[in-house]
Amino acid sequence: MTKIAFTINGKQVSSDVEGRTLLVDLIRDELKLTGTHVGCDTSQCGCCTIQLDGDMVKSCAMLAAQADGANIVTIEGLADGDKLHAVQQAFTECHGLQCGFCTPGMIMASVGILKANPNPSDEEIVKGLEGNLCRCTGYVNIIKSVKRAAELMKV
Amino acid sequence: MRLIQGHGRYASDWNMAGQLFAAVLRSPHAAARIVRIDTAAALNAPGVRAVLTHADAEQAGFKSIVGGVALKDRNGQPMKKPHYPVLAKDQVAYVGQAVAFVVAESATAAQDATELIEVEYEEQPAVVEFADAVAPGAPRVHQDIEGNVAYVHEHGDAAAVEAAFARAHRTTRLKVDSQRLVCNPMEPRACLAAFDAATGRYTLHAPSQGLIGARTHIEQITGLPAKDVDLIVEDVGGSFGIRGTPYPEYFMAMLAARTLGKPVKWVGSRSDTFLSDYHGRALALCGEVALDETGRFLAFRWTDEINLGAYAGPFGAFIGTQNVSITSHGVYAVPAVYVRSTLAYTNTTPISAYRGAGRPDIAYAIERLVDQAAFEHGFDPLELRRRNFITPAQMPFKTATGPTYDSGDFPAVMEHALKASDWAGFPARRKESEARGRLRGIGLASYLEAAGAGTFNKDQTAARVGDDGRITIFCMAGGSGQGHETTFVGVFADELGVEQGVIEYRASDLAAADLIGNGTGGSRTAAGQGSAFKALARALIEKARPLASALLGGEADYADGRFSAGGKSVGLIDLARKMARGADGRHPLDCEAEASSPATFPNGCHVAEVEIDPDTGVTDIIRYTSIDDLGNVLQPMLVEGQVHGGVAQGWGQVFGEHAVYDRESGQFLTASFMDYAMPRADWLKGTFTRESHPVPTATNLMGAKGVGESGCSGSLPALMNALMSAVRPLGVKDLQMPVTPVVMWRTLNQTARKAA
Repeated sequence: MTKIAFTINGKQVSSDVEGRTLLVDLIRDELKLTGTHVGCDTSQCGCCTIQLDGDMVKSCAMLAAQADGANIVTIEGLADGDKLHAVQQAFTECHGLQCGFCTPGMIMASVGILKANPNPSDEEIVKGLEGNLCRCTGYVNIIKSVKRAAELMKV
Repeated sequence: MRLIQGHGRYASDWNMAGQLFAAVLRSPHAAARIVRIDTAAALNAPGVRAVLTHADAEQAGFKSIVGGVALKDRNGQPMKKPHYPVLAKDQVAYVGQAVAFVVAESATAAQDATELIEVEYEEQPAVVEFADAVAPGAPRVHQDIEGNVAYVHEHGDAAAVEAAFARAHRTTRLKVDSQRLVCNPMEPRACLAAFDAATGRYTLHAPSQGLIGARTHIEQITGLPAKDVDLIVEDVGGSFGIRGTPYPEYFMAMLAARTLGKPVKWVGSRSDTFLSDYHGRALALCGEVALDETGRFLAFRWTDEINLGAYAGPFGAFIGTQNVSITSHGVYAVPAVYVRSTLAYTNTTPISAYRGAGRPDIAYAIERLVDQAAFEHGFDPLELRRRNFITPAQMPFKTATGPTYDSGDFPAVMEHALKASDWAGFPARRKESEARGRLRGIGLASYLEAAGAGTFNKDQTAARVGDDGRITIFCMAGGSGQGHETTFVGVFADELGVEQGVIEYRASDLAAADLIGNGTGGSRTAAGQGSAFKALARALIEKARPLASALLGGEADYADGRFSAGGKSVGLIDLARKMARGADGRHPLDCEAEASSPATFPNGCHVAEVEIDPDTGVTDIIRYTSIDDLGNVLQPMLVEGQVHGGVAQGWGQVFGEHAVYDRESGQFLTASFMDYAMPRADWLKGTFTRESHPVPTATNLMGAKGVGESGCSGSLPALMNALMSAVRPLGVKDLQMPVTPVVMWRTLNQTARKAA
């Protein structure tokens, strides 16, 4: 067991973890932040995307022990109190989700796209979403949502 | 709102105090006899509480997994259905079949212990393809089913079709595959089961499309009375048909929870999804059309090959029988149609309903056949369609195979699509592509769907009124992203003429409202449950009217949420607030309603335009146009989302998705997202135009026809016809799905080599 400490959604936490424990399992099972989802076992679907030290990462592709000292934001920590993040707002407005299972990962990935490039073209958006799978929307309204979020973030 | 903030509650998000964790040992073989299972080492592993096998399931009285409705062929022979045990007994018949269920104090301990179970297998030869399964001398998937044929389905008039072909001026024949798919909702299956010894009741959290159907299956398989099982489902991460019925892990978790006296949680992985969720499609349809000298269709003949997988899944047999027959006419006036499907068992995961369940497949086969006939006999494909469409004047149209299409304007829908897609401008666009060294194609499909199939002939709804006047409405359909809450609250509030904010929707809460009704599936909830909510609003108004009349001192009229009489008026919600509850606790305005909605026939015309890079075989979808007659559209944004999703699942099948088994060993070769090509965000390069062309139906109160599955029915043929249009000029005779870049590249090169 390894003792680790990190910040998640602004809160300091510490935990004893097994060497093989994945970061996503720690987030979901121990911290009970179940908004971060597990959709596959090959790091393909992106449902588990979180922000770690400013970068978007797939939390199924990291060991919990590697998060020692990190600053993590999950979907639960994205809104500012009652005020939704622009990307959350855009997904709601543009019907960018159906079943909602891929949505936390899609939103986190979109936040990352817009952080790196506040003005992405369609091509840049779909490239940025390459690592996230959705089975419901055909991506049409997800792409629309990212564009809408870019607009919202400008004002 | 909760879903964008991470506050959804999917099956794996539920936890209970003291819960144990389960893992499943699955068969590594496609076909093997189980000689012996030794669980001793696993049982002794740290943290392990139980290792359950078939013996435990049998002792608990578990019966066969339900293999769908009882079918009898024209000779009175019933479909042959092998016993499908919850855990494998003396044989395994596909890779991934559940063999043992381990329960431990942690998920990792359970998973580790599965590796300590010793199963001695005696491998047998496997068959995975239909043709191999029905070949003479093929290995038997089940010892008592000779030739592996489960059932032969016939529908329509074979003699009339024979006669039509005999006098036909021309005929065309085309066989198309609708390859095996993994449905892959983004949420892997999971469950949490608990047993309360004091009350004898079970609580089960698991993904589901509808409570009543799921509980009925649980009762049929476990023998537990349905009323003793509280199935609690909040959010479901995609269903598409395959989450309509419960799976072995749920029964085993319930059994383990009772035996061990603790809640038992099982969370499946994507690998579990690939191996053990029911698969979709897996059929081949061979169509023949007979034409007279003017190009009028005289008859269709369908000879279908259905790969059922190793067992009869809950909706497995339904696909190749009822569902490929009901729309086997498509949108055309065909005097004679005959369908003959052979259903065979193979050593693969059983199939069940997946988005359309046979209807997209037959729509695909029809529209490819029509294009092929046009090409072979020198007709313009649009003209050939125009010549054969059922016209609005012929509605209601009784088809040769039975169903009566109640409404539709197929010629106008096609003209709408031609305009919206700028079909006429295609030759110029093709030229422009050619100048860049690209192949461009355009394809069209006029599809017809049959929506509204349900197990129950009616859907019930209920309204429960709170002391604050707020109304909670209930039905039994389980959602997974369709937007039921928005749709049903909208229908109910609009009919009442009240603000939506005073209405709340709850699905599948039997404790509050003991109802029956269908689950979500077959594109039916807008018509089915929607109608029942409209009826519920009307029932509520009539229940309130005498109370309002008494209050107002005269016969009350109702409009816009208010009763009025003699210059006085009272709002419905205010009236509800004034009423006291009865001695039984019911509010005087509590009420129930129901509606029956027969099959509807959504239809539409999709146009796809594609561009192929001959150097790489990569195809881009440049434009996609979908014009759909879905009847009245209740929530345009939700409906549009359903079409997008359905179309994208079609793209997936056309360009990449394929569950591939090794023909020799029966091993499943594409069982992960690394090997199975799911559609991704960059698959649509161009524009997606979608418009409605509603021709409302009179067969349900909403005038709605259903949308959920139409996207697949339109996109498979439109895209494949577009691909054929791009490559036909080069001499390519046929393409089969999936047309991956390598398939396209090889086809182009082989055709060029032959021509050289």
